Amino acid sequence: MAAFEPVLTKNVGKPEALTLKGYRQLGGYEGLTKALTMEPDAIIDEVKKSGLRGRGGAGFPAGMKWSFIPKGKDKPKYLVCNADESEPGTFKDRLLMENDPHQLIEGCAICCYAVSANTCYIYIRGEYVKSAVILEQALKEAYEAGILGDSVQGSGFKLNMYIHRGAGAYICGEETGMLESLEGKRGQPRVKPPFPAVVGAFGAPTVINNVETLCNVPHILTHGADWFKSIGTDERNTGPKLYAISGHVDRPGTYEYPIGVTFREMLDGAGGMWRGRQLKAFIPGGASAPILKPDQIDIKMDFDTVAKAGSMLGSAAVIVMDETTCMVRSVARLAKFFNHESCGQCTPCREGTNWMELVLKRLEHGEGTESDAQKLLSICKNIGGQSLCALGDAAIGPVKSLVDRFPEEIEQHVRERACPFPQPRYFENGA
Amino acid sequence: MPKVTINDRTVEVEAGTNVIDAGLKAGVLVPHYCYHPRLSVVGQCRMCLVEISDGGKKMPKLQTACSSYVMKDGWSVRTDTPEVAEAQKGMMEFFLINHPLDCPICDQAGECGLQDYSFKHGVAYSRFQYEDKRTYPGRERIPLGANVVLNMNRCIQCTRCIRFTEEIAGTGELGFFNRGARVEIGTFPGRELNNPLATCVVDICPVGALTSTRFRFAERVWYLDKKPSICTGCEVGCNITMEQRRGDIKRYKPRFNVEVNDYWMCDYGRASFERYKQQPRLSSPRLAATNTGWSQALDAVHSRIAGAAGGEIAFLGSGFLTTEEAYLFGKLADLAGSQNRSVPVDLGTEWTIPRHQRPPIKGREAAPNRRGAELAGLGGGHDLLDGDAAARCAVLVVCDSDFGKAAWDPETVARLRKAKFLVVFGWADSPLAQAADVALPVAHHGEKDGTFVNVEWRVQRFEKAFPPTGQVRPAVEVLSDLLSRFDAAWAHQSASTVFDRLAGELPAFAGLSWRRLPATGASLHVPEAHPKVSDQAAEAASEATA
Repeated sequence: MAAFEPVLTKNVGKPEALTLKGYRQLGGYEGLTKALTMEPDAIIDEVKKSGLRGRGGAGFPAGMKWSFIPKGKDKPKYLVCNADESEPGTFKDRLLMENDPHQLIEGCAICCYAVSANTCYIYIRGEYVKSAVILEQALKEAYEAGILGDSVQGSGFKLNMYIHRGAGAYICGEETGMLESLEGKRGQPRVKPPFPAVVGAFGAPTVINNVETLCNVPHILTHGADWFKSIGTDERNTGPKLYAISGHVDRPGTYEYPIGVTFREMLDGAGGMWRGRQLKAFIPGGASAPILKPDQIDIKMDFDTVAKAGSMLGSAAVIVMDETTCMVRSVARLAKFFNHESCGQCTPCREGTNWMELVLKRLEHGEGTESDAQKLLSICKNIGGQSLCALGDAAIGPVKSLVDRFPEEIEQHVRERACPFPQPRYFENGA
Repeated sequence: MPKVTINDRTVEVEAGTNVIDAGLKAGVLVPHYCYHPRLSVVGQCRMCLVEISDGGKKMPKLQTACSSYVMKDGWSVRTDTPEVAEAQKGMMEFFLINHPLDCPICDQAGECGLQDYSFKHGVAYSRFQYEDKRTYPGRERIPLGANVVLNMNRCIQCTRCIRFTEEIAGTGELGFFNRGARVEIGTFPGRELNNPLATCVVDICPVGALTSTRFRFAERVWYLDKKPSICTGCEVGCNITMEQRRGDIKRYKPRFNVEVNDYWMCDYGRASFERYKQQPRLSSPRLAATNTGWSQALDAVHSRIAGAAGGEIAFLGSGFLTTEEAYLFGKLADLAGSQNRSVPVDLGTEWTIPRHQRPPIKGREAAPNRRGAELAGLGGGHDLLDGDAAARCAVLVVCDSDFGKAAWDPETVARLRKAKFLVVFGWADSPLAQAADVALPVAHHGEKDGTFVNVEWRVQRFEKAFPPTGQVRPAVEVLSDLLSRFDAAWAHQSASTVFDRLAGELPAFAGLSWRRLPATGASLHVPEAHPKVSDQAAEAASEATA
């Protein structure tokens, strides 16, 4: 593993990558140049062959997603790049956009060419002002250099790319919620089917990919699918992966590893536990992933292994917690997040996330009862798989794992009629 | 067409039918709140979760029936598995934890989706014991417009009302505000829910969140007697349910008829029964301004008409008459040898009702049956309201004391009074009835059977919702008595016998019969030329007023 050369983050820390000239000197836009000499279908096949899976959270094979776009010319097609990175603990796309904007533009351009989309929207989370400014500047340069516009690098392929800034809603990171928001409507998910590949933005076929996914694409084209497949654990988990590590570690931050690195290596890479404390729990894939216990420390951090362990890799936002952490309070905080961010249209999510937050808060304040653990599980069951979009399923992840994996902590809260951990002063006020 | 099996019942449905509609065809009600056949599918109440197997292979999750479309053979749907029941139970719990459960003071109680499905799919106890319910302080009785009041605490966020204003009314006054459990319905700033169809949102609201200003606290719904009827507000003839208690009409609700008004009706029509309450009622036959019995009154009319040989006899019809009444009046005119008959109708605001896959239906005439009255025998004469036409009459029969605004206009009354003998039928004790030599109290349309012919020449039947009180009798009965004084064959007629008789006689109604008249009404065979006369007159008049 030590020999691993960063791929996605190779330009991070090189300010020249922000300019088109500098990016080109670092080998940029080679992938696009190569792509323009290929047939669109050949690009899709190459991406399929590489085994690239979506980095946004669901891990859906990107090439397959592209191949769902109908070939006809009766409707325009769109690419929407999902840069609404708002899962608590996730900050990997931000790094890519702020340090290597042309890499993303190149990835988007290749994808657009592959699916014959002439318009691309980059939907950036509203709070990411810096990313938006940097990308705007990069777009401007790309237009001036003829990389975007009426004829991409003189190939005759027309491509327009726009930045769309969100207004601060987690749910707009859900693909159909994002489309609604993009169309100027209230950001709330649509009922599926029809899937965006058939009826997406403005009623037209639309590919929606995460920033990191698209950033992988130029490298696949430059180095080939076989090279890409050589990184990672197995056939189904290939390529480099960004891991955003936060919490009680010595050096939190975004780290690039081949997908499937073990959690222990990753923890060591981040300088180990903060102040040498004990690992109590970790969330492998962002706020919606079920919490894992230290016995899983050697878990391979790829899509399938983490799923097998009863959690999910999600956006690979790893949150590490030490022994001073109150699990009930942590999960109550997560439940509060999901309650706050539920769009409110479907019943289980609207009512269930609210109820879970109320129960967990009550538990944390020492007002819980013995039946609360079972009640939480049953609420989870009524939300799970029955909500309109995936937010409901996301919201129950941490709660379920709390009840399943830390029952003694709930019991302690109930028995002692108070939280046994040191109290922060500002729990009520949203901390 | 693909076949689908729902709870072991197989039906054939059009490709693209969703599972809720397919279920209805198979006789299985899939519980649902947010789905409405005329509104876009949003799949958000999650009440219609069902288990679907495709070719024997079960889909991994429960599916919403509203957004699952039967496209091919091989689907098998179950709504009765423990898993589905569990999901429905869970959803009902979610709906109720934050619902105020104020059924004892809620107008919707008795026709409430929450009550019905709680009873069928819910549980009788609550696990929401230690938390506070979410409330919307200050939003318990917000008037959204003149006719609709919102109680946000009761809302289950199905968004039917929002989609109605967007997709059917086309006005879009309502929106979803806020997020998550604090989400709420409201009008956009500066807007009011005052479109002509506004009260339809009350009908489609499955709970008591939206209530009608007119009906609020008027009656517990289980005390209402309901009969299928037709709105008399205009010539569209929206199908309604007349809901009343002891002869006191409480509300009109639209009754589904895909050919006429679909699921909707306008607010103006909903209020049209108010005139039965606001205007004074004629309750006893009157002869020379003195109350009398029916025999004396009818004898007087009979002798006057029979004795007027040679003198001019005229019949002033009304668009509020049923086709059967108009037919009998026409027969009376024939017996009296009179050709002078007319049906005056007021032109009002144009009301438009949107329909599914058909152009919207529009009505301008402020009466339901001008066409039927003319077809059945009251059309063709000259205008009696003009100039001295009435003064030349030996006998003037006004068929309806409330035929229009003119009946309340002193000038017109004075002009009609110039007839030597004035007979007035009607339910309202209008100035015209008070001026009459003989005033005859007859039933209004809630108290009688009959048919109306609407703007599209569709004949529709309605039923008596409640019996008239006092000496009031249905006009068909009265006319049958009067006609039998001339010819005994006319004795003992009712709306049904008269309809069958006129169907045998009038080519427009050929082949129809009272018993076999479809619930959605029947299109008449109207020869092009016949109705156009008065249609043109109406158009000319409307242009003049415009």
